[in-house]
Amino acid sequence: MSLLDVNQVSMHFGGIKAVTDFDLHLVPGELVGLIGPNGAGKTTVFNVITGVYQPTCGAVVLNSGDLSGKKPCRITQAGIARTFQNIRLFGSLSVLDNVKIAYHFHATHGVLASVLHGSKHFAGEEIITKKALELLDIFGLTPRKEEKARNLPYGEQRRLEIARALAARPQLLLLDEPAAGMNTNESRDLVRLIDWIHHEFGLTILLIEHHMDVVMSICRRIVVLDYGRIIAQGTPDEIRANPKVIEAYLGEEVSS
Amino acid sequence: MAGGCPRHFTNSQQEGRENLLFLQQLINGLQLGSIYALIALGYTMVYGIVRLINFAHGDIYMIGAYTGYMIATRLNWPFLPCLFAAMVFCAVLGMTIEKIAYRPLRSAPRIATLTTAIGVSLLLQNLVRYFIGPNYIPFPELFKRQSYVIYSAGSGLGLRTLTVSNIQIIVLVTALTLMFLLQFIVRKTKTGKAMRAVSFDKDAARLMGIDVDRIITITFAIGSSLAGAAGVLVGIAYPRIDPGMGVLAGLKAFVAAVLGGVGIIPGAMFGGLVMGSAETMVLAYGKSTYRDAIAFTILILILLFKPAGLFGKSVSEKV
Amino acid sequence: MKNVSIRIMALCLVLALIVSLVGCTKAPVQTTVKEIVIGVVAPMTGDVATFGKSTRQGVELAVKQINDKGGINGSTVVIKAEDDKNDPVEAANAALKLISKDKVIGIVGSVASKCTLAAAPIAQSNKIPLISGTSTNEKVTQVGDFIFRACFIDPFQGLVMAKFASENLKKTTAAVLFDIDNDYTKGLAEQFKLNFEKMGGKVLAYETYGKGDQDFNAQLTKIKSFGPEILFLPDYYNTVGLIAKQARAQGIKAIFLGGDGWDSEDLVKIGGDAIEGGYFSNHYSPDSTSPEAVSFRSAYEAAFKATPDALAALAYDAANILMEGIKQAKTTDGTAVRNAMAGLKNFKAVSGNVSFDSNRNPIKGAVILKVQGGKQVFEAVINP
Ligand SMILES: Nc1ncnc2c1ncn2[C@@H]1O[C@H](COP(=O)(O)OP(=O)(O)OP(=O)(O)O)[C@@H](O)[C@H]1O
Ligand SMILES: [Mg+2]
Repeated sequence: MSLLDVNQVSMHFGGIKAVTDFDLHLVPGELVGLIGPNGAGKTTVFNVITGVYQPTCGAVVLNSGDLSGKKPCRITQAGIARTFQNIRLFGSLSVLDNVKIAYHFHATHGVLASVLHGSKHFAGEEIITKKALELLDIFGLTPRKEEKARNLPYGEQRRLEIARALAARPQLLLLDEPAAGMNTNESRDLVRLIDWIHHEFGLTILLIEHHMDVVMSICRRIVVLDYGRIIAQGTPDEIRANPKVIEAYLGEEVSS
Repeated sequence: MAGGCPRHFTNSQQEGRENLLFLQQLINGLQLGSIYALIALGYTMVYGIVRLINFAHGDIYMIGAYTGYMIATRLNWPFLPCLFAAMVFCAVLGMTIEKIAYRPLRSAPRIATLTTAIGVSLLLQNLVRYFIGPNYIPFPELFKRQSYVIYSAGSGLGLRTLTVSNIQIIVLVTALTLMFLLQFIVRKTKTGKAMRAVSFDKDAARLMGIDVDRIITITFAIGSSLAGAAGVLVGIAYPRIDPGMGVLAGLKAFVAAVLGGVGIIPGAMFGGLVMGSAETMVLAYGKSTYRDAIAFTILILILLFKPAGLFGKSVSEKV
Repeated sequence: MKNVSIRIMALCLVLALIVSLVGCTKAPVQTTVKEIVIGVVAPMTGDVATFGKSTRQGVELAVKQINDKGGINGSTVVIKAEDDKNDPVEAANAALKLISKDKVIGIVGSVASKCTLAAAPIAQSNKIPLISGTSTNEKVTQVGDFIFRACFIDPFQGLVMAKFASENLKKTTAAVLFDIDNDYTKGLAEQFKLNFEKMGGKVLAYETYGKGDQDFNAQLTKIKSFGPEILFLPDYYNTVGLIAKQARAQGIKAIFLGGDGWDSEDLVKIGGDAIEGGYFSNHYSPDSTSPEAVSFRSAYEAAFKATPDALAALAYDAANILMEGIKQAKTTDGTAVRNAMAGLKNFKAVSGNVSFDSNRNPIKGAVILKVQGGKQVFEAVINP
């Protein structure tokens, strides 16, 4: 019984075939890596899963429920959260509000419920604040909670994005290059953190990453994309030894 | 032009009189300004969220005045229910306009939406012309006018008292209450935070589970209801309404929004109050012919020197 | 209410359609019956629409009475009316259409001076006599010798109110607040100031506003600081109502004076209590006791179920002056009609006996009305 099934998905933009016949099945609790050279179509896969794009053909199924045609916000509410390759925090909101907003909209109630249902609202508000603070604590952002998100240093913004995604209480977390732009030390810390939340929250994670050491160290299974097609999948050792992968990454360092 | 008459003031008397006059003019300016501010808020909110200058906004304000008029004359409701009904009606109208006219064009070029907005504006005006009539109509008197002397400065020539009318108090208090309510909604509630998130990054907001369409609808509803409230307040303060009343008021409120920085709520409030005061001061110390010119002078100056508005952070254009 | 008026409108439309169809089929035969067509230009919609309505009804009544007596020299008189929306451009277009398309012999209209000033040159160059009932601006008849009016002129109203303020009310200080974009209110304001000062009074403040303004607090605060006894407001009713309210709310206690622009029921609707006790000059009062005025009033009330205002009376007079000219000229030639009109002496009109001076302005007196208990009450007659 799988959590996510991506069945034969293709995504074409006019003449550009960003993704072709993509198949992926995730078992609950898995942490799978998605790698591939620049422009291979990795982010596009995320965009299709989260409903930003409607696939040209194929279907995405979460918990046996077809996601086709659903609005992105409904898909998020159904249990998929993500981070972005280019950080997309709500820069003008405080760090705490960035996290709270995702909590709020995990399950929405009436339109003006928050305005009209005074006491209930405040009780709910308190719980949410508490939970958001717990999350910030995990990511070491508590001291920054009142600051505007845009004023955080880069590394912290990356962490906040993950915290915000977690606040949406997903079953499946999609991380798009969370270690991009980090130095070796920072990315090692991040690996540890991802590993930890993976276990702690019982999450299923799909991870796009260019830092091979990151992927190889925490993913049990890796899928390799090139020109929109899956060219290989398997354990880190299998991938490292796969000649197709080596060819695709010609010039790039595959093993660490 | 003011006709001179021989006045024999000592300097300090003269000065006191001038100060009093200035304060009284400021009170006048704030009354006008709070109405501009209420309209400007709607412009700013909608712009902040969908980057659309909703040219029909001034006409929603006009519809607010007419709704108030209808309810006050047909149902004889008092002020507050009247205000509330006009706000609700305008909220529904705003949502409907958004759904029918703007939503289908959300990914169309901006000029298409802008043209549609102008079309909606003309439609609203002409609907009122057709169903209610093209002429000025008197707005019913919801309050007996009364004025209170809040400061009295002895005897002599010139302005000796500072006067505030109940109408001025009602207009100011209502406008400020609504502004603070809005500020509360935007700052403190989940919907308000969602609005800010959507205005910052629609796609990211969507992927955090925020129903962007609904937030846009709510934004139109709130913005339009504020315009509706402004319509009723104008009916009370200046009891003469007509189908074209939204055009110039809307334009001035738009300038107020730009002055404060489009998309910034405290900016719109501030901009509205400044606009009202500036206009009053021009009348008080300059010529009435410059009354409307001041709005556009402000607009040009702002666009030249601080295009992001007084409250906006200047973002240098990336070339 | 609404349903009824919609039904009446629909009925009128159907009737109009039938009439036009019938008219079409009969057109060739009709050439034998000679009709005299006179045009009306008036604001039927826009900010002073009640003026247009009164004007039209005045003309309609005059024409109906003439036709009931067998028309002019045996010909029936027909009215062609055009709406100028109180807009000079529309007024000029209306005059052009009446002259070129409807072939009118003369025109009654328009109401506001600015509109008549736009329409007059067209009538003048086509040698069609034009007579305005109510355009009081001096310049109107200066357009040319085919332009007449049935009312006295702006300088006279400014003078009348100045005279009334200083002689009847015995006041010595005044302020003036007027629309600088409008020739009518400007003309009154200038003449009031000039004459009031000539009579020894002081104009302490002379303030202006623009077309369509709703907020007068700034100017009123300024005026208040001078504490005048009189506030002269020579604008139309809807603006005067607004000003009066704001003035009283500021605690200004001055007596309000104005001109014939005040003459509308809406003055009290907008101005409420604030306008109580104000005085304005007018051409006519329904309470006038001359036989012409009495019979006009009863006929008007019978026809329109409303008391005639000055606009109706003046339009009635204007139409009658024009038709009298046509009758005396015994021809429909524009120049002959003009000459006959200019030569009228003591023509018995509702608003007084009319003779024209060399500028085709009638020489007659003015009435002062007071707003009291929400009504207009006859106060005095002021002679030039
Ligand atoms: N909206 C779009 N319209 C047109 N082409 C697109 C669109 N989105 C992606 N593409 C194209 O699809 C291809 C795959 O892009 P994608 O961003 O998925 O690659 P990626 O594997 O995430 O690359 P990177 O490692 O650089 O992030 C690219 O050629 C890109 O130009
Ligand atoms: Mg990518």
